[in-house]
Amino acid sequence: MASLRVLVGCKRVIDYAVKIRVRPDALGVVTDGVKHSMNPFDENAIEEAVRMKQKKVVKEIIAVSCGPTQSQETIRTALAMGADRGIHIEVPKGTEENLQPLAVAKIFAKLVEKEKPDIVILGKQAIDDDSNQTTQLLAGILEWPQGTMASVVEHSDGKLKITREVDGGLEDISVNLPAVISADLRLNEPRYATLPNIMKAKKKKIEKMSPEDLGVDVTPRLKVLKVVDPPVRAAGDKVPDVATLMDKLKERGHI
Amino acid sequence: VPSPRALSTTLLPEDIELLRQTCWDFAENELKPIAGAVDRDSVYPGDAVKKMGEMGLMGMVAPEELGGAGMGYLAYAVAMEEISRGCATTGVVMSVNNSLYLGPLLMAGNQAQLEKWVAPYLDGDHVGCFCLSEPGNGSDAGAASTTAIDRGDKWELNGAKAWITNGYESEAAIVFATTDKAKKHKGISAFIVPKPTEGLSLGKKEDKLGIKGSSTCVINFDNCLIDKDCLLGELGQGFKIAMKTLDAGRIGVAGQALGIAQASLECAVAYSQQRHAFDQPISKMQTIQNKLADMECRIWAARLTNWHAAKLKDEGHNFTKEAAMAKLMASETATYCAHQAIQVLGGMGYVNDMPAERHYRDARITEIYEGTSEIQRLVIAGNLLKEMSM
Repeated sequence: MASLRVLVGCKRVIDYAVKIRVRPDALGVVTDGVKHSMNPFDENAIEEAVRMKQKKVVKEIIAVSCGPTQSQETIRTALAMGADRGIHIEVPKGTEENLQPLAVAKIFAKLVEKEKPDIVILGKQAIDDDSNQTTQLLAGILEWPQGTMASVVEHSDGKLKITREVDGGLEDISVNLPAVISADLRLNEPRYATLPNIMKAKKKKIEKMSPEDLGVDVTPRLKVLKVVDPPVRAAGDKVPDVATLMDKLKERGHI
Repeated sequence: VPSPRALSTTLLPEDIELLRQTCWDFAENELKPIAGAVDRDSVYPGDAVKKMGEMGLMGMVAPEELGGAGMGYLAYAVAMEEISRGCATTGVVMSVNNSLYLGPLLMAGNQAQLEKWVAPYLDGDHVGCFCLSEPGNGSDAGAASTTAIDRGDKWELNGAKAWITNGYESEAAIVFATTDKAKKHKGISAFIVPKPTEGLSLGKKEDKLGIKGSSTCVINFDNCLIDKDCLLGELGQGFKIAMKTLDAGRIGVAGQALGIAQASLECAVAYSQQRHAFDQPISKMQTIQNKLADMECRIWAARLTNWHAAKLKDEGHNFTKEAAMAKLMASETATYCAHQAIQVLGGMGYVNDMPAERHYRDARITEIYEGTSEIQRLVIAGNLLKEMSM
């Protein structure tokens, strides 16, 4: 019964609870010595793949991470949650922040060519750049159907029934396999790795390669000019009536 | 307040670092939110313990063949710290089951005993307890007055054991009793006693200063009959089993104390960055910084000593002195940090709006159980003198 194979992406990002500090050169944020974790939406992605495996819909889960050496830890976490093996696309330390969605989508497209999975599941966005692009770009490159912001995924007969969380509410779609999905927070509750699985994860294989090995050029197309803290919130003004409000807005050039 | 403590993985092997992160996440999400209520209402954290059982935390060092995680003591030390950082009560439930209940069984149990008394006690639904201390003796363990008489087809236990953690929730007890008074401590044997058993009764739950969610009580044995196959190990081997068990248990308790110390430090740091006095956050003031620095130093000194003790044990070396050092250092660090955390918080440290006062009350027991600080010093000095004697 279990016949499908899944490729899942997991990105190593600054932990959501960390207080972010802008770097002195204003070109990024401080990452040295800062706690990093698996992107929360990617945890949902891995969890969904593991649940499909437990339901015997999926027979193999491959966890993929693109990043520096430490991305291996992120893959190990995915393996401890239940992925079968990992692929680490390694980039030199310090260049990971220049790895942009288009480059990552191209990398995944090459991996799809190589591994031939039936489903690719990614987190809907990474909490560092909040791009929400990789899934869509990948689907476009592959010309595969996509189900983004998924909060429910059900498999039946070679199709996936997906409920998407959209601005107007919930949208139900049906996609043929193979397909690309992006996981939303409410898709599932990610499990804690069990100790036996942490032990087993040690022995699971992680294949390492570089973007060059896949023939992918990861040169960034976007250049970061400046990173600044959001403006400190200034105190507001209280006005007695709407007429005064209109005057003030006109005065300050807002209308 | 979340702790973004980023530990270098060169200090811990990759799989243990992953374990640490997993336990940290569990403590943040499942234990921190309930710790206040567990303490205030003296509630046994049954749901959390069950989840920990499912993860494998309640039988960390039990071998895989029996359903355990088959992990070593470095993993155990790290897990104990992270769990206790969330809730010290949950930490003691975990430590008693792992070290004090499973410890003797894994050390001296035969195959039948392992299958009956270890395998079912790993899932968090069933826990065990350890009965060595008595109303009449604590540190003087050799003076145990509980007796076990050979009645032919049964053993008959008489006496009382005191300060039994998990006394109420446990379904099995490791009990140390005298089988041959003439041989003094070499006449003490270990027994597995199922609960409930006729002749075994529980005293009232002690009303403790801290770790209030864990039940502690006297267990009375009144012509309590148990099967012959409940003898654990050889006759007269009991004292040795107890001492070896406590050696390893110290690594777990040190972990618990470190968790309490770390929680205290985090509480103090967070508060000091938000509290303003004399136009600045108090974290900018020297007296506060001195305290935080001292806390951090002591925590790391104790933590590294504990990891060292654990590594020695995992590698099969003698670790008695190091484990005693770790337990001594960690427990005195816990009380120090909890004390200083209250001081940093000032009035807020004295009320239960903040967890500092709970850490203060939880920390205190770590200097007492599983070998008082005074006993630890004797153990350390004894080993040191042996090592350094010409």
